[in-house]
Amino acid sequence: MNRALIARYAPAAVSLLIGVAAWDYGGRHMSHAFLVTPFDTIVRMVQLVLAGELVRQSLSSLALFVVGFVLALVVGAPAGLLLARLPALRRALDLYIMIIYATPLVALIPFILSLMGFGFAPKVLVVFLFAVFPILYNTVEGARSIKPELIEVARSFRTDEWSLWREVMVPYTLPFTMTGVRQGIGRALVGMIAAEFFLSSTGLGQLIMVASQNFDTGALLAAISVIVALGIALMRLGVAIENRFARWRV
Amino acid sequence: MAEAVLVAPKAKAFVSPKALPRIYAGIAIILLWEIVVRGFAPSYVATPSGIVAALPRVVVDPAFLSASALTLAAVTEGLLISIVLGTLLGLIMGRSTIADRALRAYVNGCYTIPMIVVLPLVSLWFGYSGAARLATIVFAALFSITVNVADGARSVPREYLEVARSFRSGSWRALFEIVLPASAPYFFAGMRLAAGRALIGAVVAEFFTAIPGLGLYILYNSRIFRHNEAFVAVLLLGAFGAGFDGFINYTTRRYLPWYHRDEATE
Repeated sequence: MNRALIARYAPAAVSLLIGVAAWDYGGRHMSHAFLVTPFDTIVRMVQLVLAGELVRQSLSSLALFVVGFVLALVVGAPAGLLLARLPALRRALDLYIMIIYATPLVALIPFILSLMGFGFAPKVLVVFLFAVFPILYNTVEGARSIKPELIEVARSFRTDEWSLWREVMVPYTLPFTMTGVRQGIGRALVGMIAAEFFLSSTGLGQLIMVASQNFDTGALLAAISVIVALGIALMRLGVAIENRFARWRV
Repeated sequence: MAEAVLVAPKAKAFVSPKALPRIYAGIAIILLWEIVVRGFAPSYVATPSGIVAALPRVVVDPAFLSASALTLAAVTEGLLISIVLGTLLGLIMGRSTIADRALRAYVNGCYTIPMIVVLPLVSLWFGYSGAARLATIVFAALFSITVNVADGARSVPREYLEVARSFRSGSWRALFEIVLPASAPYFFAGMRLAAGRALIGAVVAEFFTAIPGLGLYILYNSRIFRHNEAFVAVLLLGAFGAGFDGFINYTTRRYLPWYHRDEATE
């Protein structure tokens, strides 16, 4: 085999093997409530898949994620463009947006719980709140960086406001919004799990909660693995979307 | 006789005209909040006037003070651990290709997953105690510092190191005088992310394990419908987050003025 290839992949392979071996050793020598072996985790995962439980709960989580995230995009991106177009409004609000962005929004979950109860809507609100600010923030920054010449040229051709948005602002800002989308995906995932843990328990969050209450560590690790896989897949999707639109940057 | 015209020196404006829209907007937000809640929401919901009324009571409340001290001390301790471990790990990964290839899967994996999912495992392993909160904070904060420091250490211009070597400077000097200063801006970007994540980690750990702290204070008070009191704790968390953000911004501008970088990846 090619030496360069070995040098490239051997360290990662060795360290992953060591990781799995350590996990296995820990699983064999500790109480089963603490840790179970990778093999037992896979067995439990297959059982959960065959029972239909894992697929059903994953779809439930994904539905929550998608609804909350789409709402965040639909609200965040236009609001960002509006703030960029109206400098007075932006100057008036940027401090407050920054403050909300820096506040750990999980702290608001108990308020949302006692105001909105246990339905689907409060959970969507949590995902929305987690995802909307990176989208809003990046859109504003992107739209602010539009060269004034572009808008001046458009103006001198007597463009109306609608065409200005459609032909200049939206195409220019889209790549920045997509950076916000990538950041928002990561935060929305946190929001999704937080909502499922601390509001009404559904989806993968419920699977984890039930498993941890029953000391069913195999199911716990299986559910965490699914969330990790889902997270990595969604993050990859986010990076792909960002790169796809990055070509538009001028 | 010529009349002396005395003109009073123009008074310096108390607030700069640029800040005025902000102040108006702040007043508008507070008024809107007050009116909407009074008009449409149950009476226990937090209002600005209610929060102001609760403030003097809350800030002398021993329960609130001990909760704040516990959470903020845990966040600080977790951040310090993360800074030491994360910088070390980041430097090793940034300067050694083998270490980078061996560790990258773990670091990226731990950085990418929603850190909240480890709560059940952490509370299982560390018990329903302050140790679980500290572990959550470190897990939340460590990897954003590692990833950023590794990026920084990797991006040190090769010429600098070559010059250092041709002047026969030792590798420790190269580390302290070239690699560390060159990674500093990345480190600060990582710190900023880490602080936000550490706060979230502390609050969710307290929600999950019900150990005393600001998170539990919020949870408890909102359950007994004392939203005004609970909101004071949210304000404190927000102030800590925003204050830390401002501190990092100031430090970057003050000590690394040449440096300008897009928002670090989250």
